Amino acid sequence: MGLLRPARTVTTPSGDYWELYVSKTALPAWREGNSGFQPGMEFTYGTVGLFEIPFMVLSFLWSSILVPLGRILVLLPISVARGRRSHAVRIEALSPYPRRQLLLWMTTDVHKERVLDEIAAGLAQGKVVCPAGALYSGQE
Amino acid sequence: MRFFRSGAPAARLGALGREGTDAYDLVDRLPRGQARIAAWNAYVCQTYADKLVDACRDSHFARSDTAALVRDLYALVPVWLERAEGAGAPRDLPFPHWHTPDRCWEQLVGMRETLEALRTYLAFDLAQTGGDEAELESVDDSLETVASLWIRRPPPELRSGIGEALRRGLDAAYALGQRLAAGGG
Repeated sequence: MGLLRPARTVTTPSGDYWELYVSKTALPAWREGNSGFQPGMEFTYGTVGLFEIPFMVLSFLWSSILVPLGRILVLLPISVARGRRSHAVRIEALSPYPRRQLLLWMTTDVHKERVLDEIAAGLAQGKVVCPAGALYSGQE
Repeated sequence: MRFFRSGAPAARLGALGREGTDAYDLVDRLPRGQARIAAWNAYVCQTYADKLVDACRDSHFARSDTAALVRDLYALVPVWLERAEGAGAPRDLPFPHWHTPDRCWEQLVGMRETLEALRTYLAFDLAQTGGDEAELESVDDSLETVASLWIRRPPPELRSGIGEALRRGLDAAYALGQRLAAGGG
């Protein structure tokens, strides 16, 4: 049961596809800063001079790529270490299409397999269930 | 590190509860009715505050939200005791709750031990009055939920879920105790 491989895949009666992931680590979210620059919108800003474009691109790379990446590189080992010490288990259901949806349940090591089975069975019937021994945290 | 923490020393908080120790036995001495309901309310407030303080004894320090709730609970005890002894005017005072969803470990321990103590009292009271143990169902549901999620170092999502289950259980126990104290089965 790898972090990047779904533990179960489910298709609902209406055809929605769900992947269920089990992990002990809450991955840090990708949080972008605001550089004030949107790629592709350069030509809609009438007052932007040619000299400003490189600075805006650098600012965009800094706040949207480098800072979030640095944040994740710092937080990821902490999250992994915390997850390994904890008996808490995260079960995430991801529906990548037609609209991306991510549902989260929290449970413990003891109930992990049963809770996963019940969630998968519920989704297979088109229902979001909250099995005993788990907490449904809603959509992420 | 204590210099940077906001809150109160557990020993100082515990001292606030000395005036209310009568609450532990008064409820058993009163006949069923309004006075006994007030004594039950005093008993719950005293028990809850004492258990929260006890849970903080290892760290010798209570977080500021714990300290605030403990003070509110201890402040209610003499009010309810006066009412139980017929001295205070009838009042409808709400049972104090936390103002935030995030519970720390000590708070969860205090809440769980309170709920278990109230459950024991209520089961005994039901047995004495010939009541139906099924009335404890919502309290037992909360305790079962809590037991199934109880692990060391729970993450915030679990702590908030456990705290919510305990809050529901405490509300249910408080209300059931009032009904029994009034003489209802």
